[in-house]
Amino acid sequence: MHQLITNLKLFWQGAALSYVALFSWLRPTTFLASMIIFPLGQILFFTLLGIFATGRDSASFYLIGNAMQITASAGIFGVTMAIGGERWAGTLMYLFGAPANRLTIFAGRATIHIFNGVVQVLMGLAWGLVLGWVSFAHTDPLALGITILIATFSTAALGLLLGCLGLVTLNIMFINNLVYFLLLLFSGANLPITALPQWMQYISWSLPLTRGIAAARFIVDGASLAEVAPLLVGEFFIGVGYLVAGYVLFRIFEIEAKRRGTLEAF
Amino acid sequence: MFCSDEFIRPPRGTIEAMSFIARYYAPSIFMRCGCDAKRRMANFLMNNAIQVTNLRRVYKSYVGVFRRKLKEVEAVKGISFEVAAGELFGILGPNGAGKTTTVKMLTTLLLPTSGTATILGHDVVRDVSALRPRIGFIFGGERGLYWRLSGMDNLKYFSSLYQIDPAVQAKRIPYLLELVGLKERANEKVEGYSRGMKQRLHIARTLLNDPEVMFLDEPSIGLDPVAARDIRRVVRDLRDEKKTILLTTHYMFEADELCKRIAVINKGEIVALDTPANLKRVVQDLSVVELEVKMFTPDALERLKGLPFVDAVTVQEREQNSLVIVQSPRGAEAVSELLAQLNGATVQKVTVREPTLEDAYVRLVEGMDETKKEGAGSK
Amino acid sequence: MFLKYLYAIFAAFKMNFLSLVVDGFFIFATLLMPLIYALIAFGILRDKGAHYGIFVAVGSGLAGLWTTLLFGSGNAITGERWSGTLELIAATPTPMWMIVFGKSLGVILQSLLSMVASYLLGWLVFGYPLGIAQPLEFFLVLFIGLLSFIAFGLMLAPLFLLNPQVQQFQNALEYPVYILCGFLFPIALLPFWTTPLSYILSPYWTARLLQAAAGGTLAWEQLVNESIYILALGGVYILIASVLFRIVLKKARVDATLGLQ
Repeated sequence: MHQLITNLKLFWQGAALSYVALFSWLRPTTFLASMIIFPLGQILFFTLLGIFATGRDSASFYLIGNAMQITASAGIFGVTMAIGGERWAGTLMYLFGAPANRLTIFAGRATIHIFNGVVQVLMGLAWGLVLGWVSFAHTDPLALGITILIATFSTAALGLLLGCLGLVTLNIMFINNLVYFLLLLFSGANLPITALPQWMQYISWSLPLTRGIAAARFIVDGASLAEVAPLLVGEFFIGVGYLVAGYVLFRIFEIEAKRRGTLEAF
Repeated sequence: MFCSDEFIRPPRGTIEAMSFIARYYAPSIFMRCGCDAKRRMANFLMNNAIQVTNLRRVYKSYVGVFRRKLKEVEAVKGISFEVAAGELFGILGPNGAGKTTTVKMLTTLLLPTSGTATILGHDVVRDVSALRPRIGFIFGGERGLYWRLSGMDNLKYFSSLYQIDPAVQAKRIPYLLELVGLKERANEKVEGYSRGMKQRLHIARTLLNDPEVMFLDEPSIGLDPVAARDIRRVVRDLRDEKKTILLTTHYMFEADELCKRIAVINKGEIVALDTPANLKRVVQDLSVVELEVKMFTPDALERLKGLPFVDAVTVQEREQNSLVIVQSPRGAEAVSELLAQLNGATVQKVTVREPTLEDAYVRLVEGMDETKKEGAGSK
Repeated sequence: MFLKYLYAIFAAFKMNFLSLVVDGFFIFATLLMPLIYALIAFGILRDKGAHYGIFVAVGSGLAGLWTTLLFGSGNAITGERWSGTLELIAATPTPMWMIVFGKSLGVILQSLLSMVASYLLGWLVFGYPLGIAQPLEFFLVLFIGLLSFIAFGLMLAPLFLLNPQVQQFQNALEYPVYILCGFLFPIALLPFWTTPLSYILSPYWTARLLQAAAGGTLAWEQLVNESIYILALGGVYILIASVLFRIVLKKARVDATLGLQ
């Protein structure tokens, strides 16, 4: 019980801290740039490209795909930086040395980015509504909300894994960008999964977001929560899988680092 | 009135100088010019390289996350001093005293909030482009170099940006590397250099454009004793070459050893400005008692400070014990009373010695803090 | 005098190029990212037919060029800030915009690779016929366009000087330029009020001429007229950039933002 309370406290502190960090980072101009212009830019670019290719009817396909994909900017970049910042600040050694549960701290820090991701997806969809590229007439808002939440969670879990990788690799921005753009390619945001070669489809289905985007498209078209449940359950467990992988990886790094005495090298 | 920018540049050559005096100095005698013409004239006649008048700098920053409050910090509170051409002038002060801010203002990197400063007759705010090629500066620490490049390439790059003729570069860079003792390792990457080597490379960098005035901001910070000694050797060489040098440091012995005059600065104000010998005179009537004490408590510190014959107390924490340094005019006679105030603590060693520049510095800096606390004008 | 400035620009170019070729992020930005864009664009535009191959290759190459330039010139300044050299180079007699221009040249040289990469991708992987119909004109436009492109990036650099948190601006400025310059779809798809914006962007004209030269529809008259226009725009950009740099460096001296506090 005591352990649980301690962990809850740590979780809360981590969340509060990254909240503060997030908002000092988001000064009005920076906020405008990262929360509005960047997502809108990506959505417009790919949706217009899609319209150019296959006509206006396909707009909602690209819009939903890219609006959902925006969550990766918070989930991948936000989360990895919240963790990777530790290394840059040179405080990693102290964190390894501390008795606290590191995953709890990291998960706490990731939470705010999940919230942020959800907000960005909603804003992206709102842009689509304003531009007349999508209609929510047949959409169950609750089902859509749950879908967005689960997709964001599993993307952030991937971010957590990358963040742990970032603790030990030199150029985390390289990995981050690569994963972000691979998601753009594989998640079905812009290319229908079925249009990809078979071996690429395997990659698609093992990544987060793929099922979430598919589910979101169904729900906007009027499907019920029950109909997309298998997709959502799959998406959720993919997220759990990445979370566990991140934790295991982190433990291995930690133990190895202590054994070899290479903590300072971080 | 007739103070214009045209007078800021010092005259070059005799004729120009004479016409300068005729146009400028003569009227100022008769018309009692209210502007700072006289000061500038004196500056010119006394051959001052650096002239600082009431220089002040306020930093504004925002604190808080949601309700942002404007916070103002006055880092430099209106200081004035001048440095003669060819002089090695020291600014001595604790961390955060305003040394770096002062140097940044004098090197045109930061605008003063108020006050003026002229270097070689150029105003640091207005005559930036004329001034920059004539000065050089380094800031202490390891930053300010390209770590991925070799020492040689760093110098080549900067000299290109200083637009130094390639033919001149080819001669000067090897000469400078030799001067700072980096000739053998010039082609290695800077990331493999020790701190001392990086610092010497910094000095070579500032010398690329053969500056007339150099600003060295804590050049020996963070260096081991041997490396710091090397830096001092280089600085001494530069002094002997009649460069005007403004050196900031928080090591007393460094200032003592190198500088002709020292300004002691604390909390943005100059608390003393004199030669090292004269500064030491501040404490000549004092003796210094050093006590090595185990388990020294803050209470004991307060009690020692409360004694009427104690002028200043500083404590250095060491591994095994604390070194308590007490300044007092009574010297050896004070020891027994000091020990009485330390009831309970174990005193391992007592030394009574003559004051050093460091003690003068402690007294100046602490003395100022205390007059502030008491709110009285004098101590 | 003029020669001295050229030396300084060349020094900045060499220095930046040498440090970029080993930078992981940059290898990504110049090689992998344009490839991913090209893959997606080839995928989306597949049904348009094979003659769009060269259009996509040129467009995604230009997109990669813009991204590298954007991040390259921004990071050049951020990097100087981190290494503590920004104050030092600001204090040299060489104007800051020239240093950034030289550095951008280094970026451009590397990102030319991204054009080659997306070209090869379309050719080898997708099997599109990617012949350049008017090679002479193509490379002429490419040269002029690149100079103007750098000048355009130069206008943004003062922003990065002022704000240490440049990453967000870099990210935000990526797509709008792709869209407005018509790299991968014509600007006719955009609302009419954005057209003037496209017209004042030299990459838009460069993309237009390159597409035309690649497709073999570039008339001599159009080439001359629009090339002159591209160069003129570049000149205006440099003029604006040098003024902005002066203002910003002045402001940096007031706010003490050159160092890393």
